[in-house]
Amino acid sequence: MAVQNYENIDINSDVSTTRTLLHEVIPITGTILSGAYGTWPNDTNIKNYSHGMFQSVYDYPYLSSSANHIFDLTVGFDETSPLSASAATQNTKKINLYNQFSQLLLGYTGSTTDGVRKFESDLTLDGTGTMKDVFFINFARLLTKDQIKKGTFSLTVGTGAFGSAFAGTKTLYDVSASNTGETTNTFGGDYGVLFESGSSNAHGVLFYQAGIAVVSSSIFSGVAQFDSGTYGYRTVAESLQSSSISGTCDMLRHRIQNLSYNNTTEINSKIYFCRVPHNKFNYSSNPTYLSGSKIRVKEVATDPPVSYITTIGLYNSANELLATAKLSEPLRKDPTQELILRVRLDY
Amino acid sequence: MSYKKFNTNDILYNTMEAQPKSSFFIYDGLIYYNNMPKQTGTRNSSGHVRNASSGFLSLYEYNIDRPLVDTDRVIGEGPDVSYDALVTNYQASGTQVDFLLDNARIYPYISKDSARSSFKTFGAVNDYNEFQYGAILSASYPLSSSITREYITTPYASTSSYNAHYVALKNKLDFYAVRSKHYKVSSSSPAWNKDTQTLNLISIPSIFYGTRIRPGTLSLKWYLSGSLIGELRDEKENGELIQVGPAGSTGSGSVAGVALYEEGFLLLTGSWDLSTTQLALISGSGGALNEPAWIYYGAGANDNVNQTTVGGATYVSASFSLDFKGHTETQTVTMFAHAKVGEVNYSNNPTFIQKGQTQMEYTSSHIYEERSDRLMINTVSSSHSDYSASFERQVYISRVGVYDKFKNLIGVATLSNPVLKKEADEYSFKIKLDI
Repeated sequence: MAVQNYENIDINSDVSTTRTLLHEVIPITGTILSGAYGTWPNDTNIKNYSHGMFQSVYDYPYLSSSANHIFDLTVGFDETSPLSASAATQNTKKINLYNQFSQLLLGYTGSTTDGVRKFESDLTLDGTGTMKDVFFINFARLLTKDQIKKGTFSLTVGTGAFGSAFAGTKTLYDVSASNTGETTNTFGGDYGVLFESGSSNAHGVLFYQAGIAVVSSSIFSGVAQFDSGTYGYRTVAESLQSSSISGTCDMLRHRIQNLSYNNTTEINSKIYFCRVPHNKFNYSSNPTYLSGSKIRVKEVATDPPVSYITTIGLYNSANELLATAKLSEPLRKDPTQELILRVRLDY
Repeated sequence: MSYKKFNTNDILYNTMEAQPKSSFFIYDGLIYYNNMPKQTGTRNSSGHVRNASSGFLSLYEYNIDRPLVDTDRVIGEGPDVSYDALVTNYQASGTQVDFLLDNARIYPYISKDSARSSFKTFGAVNDYNEFQYGAILSASYPLSSSITREYITTPYASTSSYNAHYVALKNKLDFYAVRSKHYKVSSSSPAWNKDTQTLNLISIPSIFYGTRIRPGTLSLKWYLSGSLIGELRDEKENGELIQVGPAGSTGSGSVAGVALYEEGFLLLTGSWDLSTTQLALISGSGGALNEPAWIYYGAGANDNVNQTTVGGATYVSASFSLDFKGHTETQTVTMFAHAKVGEVNYSNNPTFIQKGQTQMEYTSSHIYEERSDRLMINTVSSSHSDYSASFERQVYISRVGVYDKFKNLIGVATLSNPVLKKEADEYSFKIKLDI
C-alpha cells in the first residue's frame, strides 16, 4: 500500500506545458514504385481500381497483410486547359479530379463564372502562373502524420527517353519553405512551392498538412518519349490527354527515381514539478519496510528515517489516483534532503 | 452554419473489452508468433520482410522489405548532394550537422531543444548533455518485441549473488500468495524455497496481452519429437499452472509453476521428468543430457539456446507451444447526431446556388450585402426525359462535424455515401469514436 500522504500541486507554479516535435525520415525510393514487385506496369504493389480514377502505391504486394499504403497517384486538368477536349480519354474524370482537389485545397474565388481556384506555381493566388495540367501525389496519413516537415521534401524524376528514363534527372524541392515563411495558408493548410534544383523554375506545390503534392506536367516539358510507346511515343501532354489516368500514372511511376521527406508529430506534454519536502516522505507503508515492528533500514533508534522513493502517484481533488510515474531507480530520501521530481505526461 | 447541441442522452460512454489471442511455437532456437512463418523479403533478401526476427512483433510495421542502404543522399536534397561530403564540410567549419542521411529506411529523430526530450536510448544524462542544442538525435525502426526465457540456477544466494529479475518479482510473488500458496517464495509444508530452486522465467511483453493475461486461457505444451509429453493449464484461474496432460503422465495434477497475469511472467519450478529420453537443453553445458522437465520448457526462446550452445543435436527433438488470451479495454464514445424534420436542409457548398446569379447586392467601405433572392439549384431527379422535376428542398449529407463548446471543430465523421435528406425525412447518425 502506498503512502497516503498527499502534497498539493500548485497549478500556477508547479505545472508547465511543453510541445515536442518528433520527426521521421520517410525515404521512398524509385525501386518501390516500379520494378521491385513484378514487372512494370503490372507491379503487385500497385492497386488499380475499376473506377479508374487513381492508383494506390504500397510498399509491398498489397495482398499481403504486411503491406502499408504509401500514397495515391492521379492526374487532372482544368476545363480551360488546352488538353481538355471531349475526345480526350476520361476527360470528365480528369476535370473533376482537378476541381475536387482545388476545391478542397484552395477553395473558391468568389467569381460566379469560374469559381474554383486553380493551382499556381507561386505563393500568391492571383491568377498568374496557373498550373492547369498536373499530377497529384496524395501521401498516406500513416507516413505524413501531423504534417510534412517544411523544407524537407524532394522528388527526383527522370527526364530521359522512356528506355533510359534516368539519363537526365530533375529534382523538385521546397527549398525556400520553412516554419517561419515562404508558405501560403489556404483551405488545405499551408503550401510551399516546389522549385527545380539549381534554378528558379517552379513546377508544383506541396500542401504540408494535407500531405498532397501537386506536380505540374511542365516538369516533363521537352521529354519526347514520356510514355512507353505502346501507342507511339507520346509527350506528357499527349499522355495526359490520350492515356487513361492509370496509364499516365504508370508512366510517372516509371520516372520517379527518388522521393523523400520528413514528417512531424506534435507531442504535447504537461510537466508536474512534484516537491518532496525535507520533513515528509521519509517513511514507507510497504509491508517489507518493517521487520518485527521495527524499521528495517535503521540500525539503531537514533538513526534518521530513510525511505526509497520508487513511484509518484498523481491524484485528483477527490484523492482518486489518476496516474503513476515510476522512477528508473529508487531514490534515497531522508530528512536531510529536499527533492523536486519532474513528472512529464505526454499526450 | 447552424449548430445542433448534443443532449445528455445523445452521448454514451462505453468500454469495449477484447481478448487478443497469442500463440507462440518454439523450435530449434526460433520462435513463431501466431503461426507466422519466416518471410524473406524481395528487396531485403538477406533479412526478414518486417526487419524483425521470427517471433518478434514489429511496432508500427514500418520499413517493410526495406534493406539498409547507405545512399549517401541527404533527405530533402537532390542526388548531387553527398551526405558524407556535406558532413565533412560542416565539421571542418564547426557547424552543427542538422541534416539527415537517407538510408532507405524510415527512422525517427528529434532536435535537442529546451523541452529536454530524447529517446530512451539516450537515457543517461551525461550522454544527452554531450549534444549541442539544435543537434539531431535519431533512433531506428522497427521497434520489436517477443517473449524471453531465462533459465535461473541461482535465484538468490546472497546480496552479491542473485538474479535481479527474480529478486524484482519476490515481493509480487508473496503478495499474490492470497490467490494460491504456490506463489509464496518459501513454504514449510510442503517445503520449498524459490531462492534456491532452479527456475524457468518466461517474460511476456504487455504488447501481446494488454492489461493482463486472461486467467484460465494459458496453455503450455512440451513436445518431444512431435509427441505431447506435458501440458500445463491454469484451469483453476488462480495462477497455478497445473499439469493436465497427457492423461496418466508423470506429474499429472501437480503444480509446475505460477503465472503473474498482470505483470506477464510465467515462473516454472517443476523439475520432475516428463520422459526418460535425454536431451541437451542447457546452454553452455557442453552437451550435458537431461530428461525433459518444466524447468527446460521454452528452451530456445531468446535465451541463447540452440544446437551449438547446448552442444548436441538432440535439442531439435524438443519443441514448445505457448497459448493464451489477453485482455484489453478500449474506451469508446458514441454520439447520436439528429437531423430532424425541416432541419438540416441547406448547404453552404457554392454549387448549391444556381450558377450565373449576381452574388452581391451592395458593397462599400462599411457595408457588404449579398442578394437575398438568389435561387437554389434544383437537384431533384426527374423520372422522365426532357422534363425537369418540381423543385423540392433537399440536401445530400456527406459529413457530420463535431464541435466543442467554443465551436472549435474537433472531429469530422464522413459518410461512406452521401445521404439524401428531404424536408420530411429525419435521420440520426451514430458516430463512434475510440479513445
